[in-house]
Amino acid sequence: MLKMKNNYFQRLFWILVIAGIWKAISLSGLFSPLIFPSPETVLKSFYLSLLNGELIRQTIISLSLILRGLIISLIIALILSLLAISSKTFAGMVETLLAIAHPLPGIALMPLVLIWFGAGTKAIIFIIVHSVLWPLVLNLLTGFRAIPEIYRLVGENYGLNSLKIMWYIMTPASLPYFLAGIKIGWARAWRALISAEMLFGAAGGIGGLGWYIFKKRVFFDIPGVFAGLIVIVIIGVLVEDLLFNKVEDITVKRWGMQI
Amino acid sequence: MRKYSAIILISILFILLLSGCKKEVENRISIAEQYGLAYAPLQIMKAKGFLEKNLPGIEVNWEQLGNTAAIREAMLAGKLDIGFMAIPPFLIAWDKGMKWKIISGLSISPLGLVTYRDDIKSIRDFSPEDRIALPQPGSIQHILLSMACEREFSNPRKLDDLLVTMAHPDGMNALLSRKEITAHFTSPPYIFKELKDGKMHQILSGKEAMGKEFTFIVGAATEKFYDNNPRVYKAFVSSLREAIDFINDHPEEAAAILATEYNLPEEEVLKYITWPGMKYTPVIKGLDEFAHFLKKNNYISKIYASREEVIWEDVKDEK
Repeated sequence: MLKMKNNYFQRLFWILVIAGIWKAISLSGLFSPLIFPSPETVLKSFYLSLLNGELIRQTIISLSLILRGLIISLIIALILSLLAISSKTFAGMVETLLAIAHPLPGIALMPLVLIWFGAGTKAIIFIIVHSVLWPLVLNLLTGFRAIPEIYRLVGENYGLNSLKIMWYIMTPASLPYFLAGIKIGWARAWRALISAEMLFGAAGGIGGLGWYIFKKRVFFDIPGVFAGLIVIVIIGVLVEDLLFNKVEDITVKRWGMQI
Repeated sequence: MRKYSAIILISILFILLLSGCKKEVENRISIAEQYGLAYAPLQIMKAKGFLEKNLPGIEVNWEQLGNTAAIREAMLAGKLDIGFMAIPPFLIAWDKGMKWKIISGLSISPLGLVTYRDDIKSIRDFSPEDRIALPQPGSIQHILLSMACEREFSNPRKLDDLLVTMAHPDGMNALLSRKEITAHFTSPPYIFKELKDGKMHQILSGKEAMGKEFTFIVGAATEKFYDNNPRVYKAFVSSLREAIDFINDHPEEAAAILATEYNLPEEEVLKYITWPGMKYTPVIKGLDEFAHFLKKNNYISKIYASREEVIWEDVKDEK
């Protein structure tokens, strides 16, 4: 517990240091305040956007999109990787898919996605799924393959059928890889989402955080752009520090699989 | 101790990096334009070398950027001296404190809202499910649509929830595929290409929205450039006039030059640059109307006390 508090203290300390440097640079007059607004103007813009509800509304839109994308990717990734470990033929297929799709950045697919789905929610979810799915499958496969053969044999000795072996043995044993995959997937999904929102714009007034930043940009409101970035950072830190670390604490760390 | 000296060293390097400002060069100019027929005088100026002729030894750097926001940011960063864009994005940045003024008008152009749907005859016929594509919020297309909405519905933001942000080429493709969007607010050559489809029709023109003729594209120069390079500035203004006069006096010759630039047949370009409502002129029209509309609807916070605050001297200007 003490260590955790210490961590938070460290975070706070460094944030203050960064804010101090930021303030110093903006005071130095090296840059026009239009390019490099002072921390107060950014905080003020952040606060005003929070007050009028726009920032919160856009954040909720972004988070709901990312959640939907993550859940869909999770399901497809599980199916693909389970298929791949249960059959050689499928393994070939999944590996080929991986080789084709993994190196493709989501943004590069944007022109095609626009034609297929139009500029809307579906297109953004497609981009998110594409960004998350492949690293997740890759990690899951690595995880499954890293499980010693002896685990499975022990399961068979206990008379478990293959479904039960998957659920009771393979899944927990590959959990560290799975979590690592989710972490990478989350980071990639977040980036894909913001870029997609910036490119696609708002349909029906619904735009998300990327759209918020884009709108601030076209109205030349640089403190507003920073305010959007701050939200992205805050969400990133919260998810990493609270969600992922908590999940790791109660699973893989408690089980002694990871330190 | 070594650790701290490393930290100090890195900080010093960082500060040096930040302060590594580039030296001013008297004989250099960077100009930004966007793609479209409204920018034709700049293509002529480039192809005929007017600037080089008027100021021998000048180093001219032409940039074609995808949207106005990028041009403004590059000018703010000091990478560009002169940028061309519509009046509303200019005023929005001026209002936020950007130090720049208008040099000259460039073109007056037909703009319009085009749809393929026969049942849509005016902006009153849009339903909440319809989508209207235009370059971006705050663009001249958006402001013109808001003006029309204010007149029709007494609510300038009435159709804002239908907007989809698309660059002109994307918007045109989306409209022609008749899937995602219902209508497209655009400018030449895209509007001409769309109307050529035959089954498309225009439900609102820029002139109807504004209520009068207005300048579509203006050129703006940063204060820094104006103050530091008066010679280059003057040469640029006269070269621009020369290019505008050239298009007006020799449209066939201009079309031949532009045809290679735009990769279009010569006759088509000639038709486009002499289209009714397509005018190349340094006169600035409609500035005050845009400013008052933007102010009234809180897109900008203030209005210039005198036009000298937003226009450099030596500009033909019409109320």
